[in-house]
Amino acid sequence: MATKQVRYEALVKALHADLYRYAYWLCHDKHIAEDLVQETFLRAWRALDSLKDEKAAKSWLITILRRENARRFERKRFEMSEYEEATITDVGATSNEQEIENHWLREKIAQMPEEYREPLVLQVIGGFSGEEIASLLSLNKNTVMTRLFRARNQLKEAVDDEPKLRGLHNG
Amino acid sequence: MDDLQFRRSILADPKTRDDAINAALKSDPAKQKFVQETESLDSKIAQAMNIPVPEDLANKLILRQTLASHQQQKGKTRVRLAMAASVALVMGLTANFMLFSNTYKNLADYAIAHVNHEAAHFSNTDQPKVTLASLNEKMSAFKGSFASTFGTLIFADYCRFDGNKSLHLVFQGKSSPVNVFILPDDQDIEFVANFENSKLQGNSLHFNHSNIIVVGDKDEPIAQWQERVNKSITWSI
Repeated sequence: MATKQVRYEALVKALHADLYRYAYWLCHDKHIAEDLVQETFLRAWRALDSLKDEKAAKSWLITILRRENARRFERKRFEMSEYEEATITDVGATSNEQEIENHWLREKIAQMPEEYREPLVLQVIGGFSGEEIASLLSLNKNTVMTRLFRARNQLKEAVDDEPKLRGLHNG
Repeated sequence: MDDLQFRRSILADPKTRDDAINAALKSDPAKQKFVQETESLDSKIAQAMNIPVPEDLANKLILRQTLASHQQQKGKTRVRLAMAASVALVMGLTANFMLFSNTYKNLADYAIAHVNHEAAHFSNTDQPKVTLASLNEKMSAFKGSFASTFGTLIFADYCRFDGNKSLHLVFQGKSSPVNVFILPDDQDIEFVANFENSKLQGNSLHFNHSNIIVVGDKDEPIAQWQERVNKSITWSI
């Protein structure tokens, strides 16, 4: 019992941040992301004995979280993939230039199609390789690599255009 | 490796390095610049994606799990408690059944067993110690009294007679003590008027709400004893 508790707490401490961020980029809502993470860890606790390889813990948890997220859509059908301005964290009021840039980029990431964003989040936050992302998303590796390329390419183009937008904003 | 393919692989994974990419990087400063740009873009992306995590999330997760497993634990405890209670109940019933149920089917068996059990405590040469008054005091519990003594009474006290309170009298007999039991009429135990085994014989008399059983050895004139008891006893209502 004690060892299971210790394992669980270690798992929570090591991975809750990554999992929360991943959840956030899936649903664009702080509260839903938190709920998803809670639900995920609760299920993880119940099934903790089935986790044999600690190295696989992250992808295991992400799989649980994706399933939880899918369940959310089964429960109530409303389209969340459409980006809503109001749900994006507003940090503009009290932040410096770096924060403003982050905020701007966040909007760009949020506007990206789900199918491009998810592999990118898994790669950047999760640190997963192309193969791992492919197996997590049940896609083949070439598809994943193409999506990653397109995702970054979109952001790159957006960033390259940024100075003009900045200029406009700043008058 | 052509430029497009190079850009594709770097943009798909800026950290990817294989021989072809390394070779292309060495030979072309423009490609090095592209990698640098992409890496800097990637660090911006990473920064942007690193949205703040609620500070207390880890604690919340641990708390919620602790509560959930506590709830589970409580459920288990309840089940265990119920099981323990059932076992205790069954054991209690069994003990009750074994201790207080009528082990003997009839008066005769019990009377003989009782006499045999206590035979060692009495000897025919014991001095009489019980007065008529104290005997009658004890008899009052059975709503009866003796008008006179009808033999040498060496012992008189309450006994458990198969779970019932009874009065056990021991008289001096011819060769061995004679036992007289006065016990309340009990529906649960079968009344047997005359009985005997290899050594002992006995006789039971049934009154309104009492039975009187006389047990003695084979030489003893049990019928005579019974007759004496019958004559000297009076029952109040």
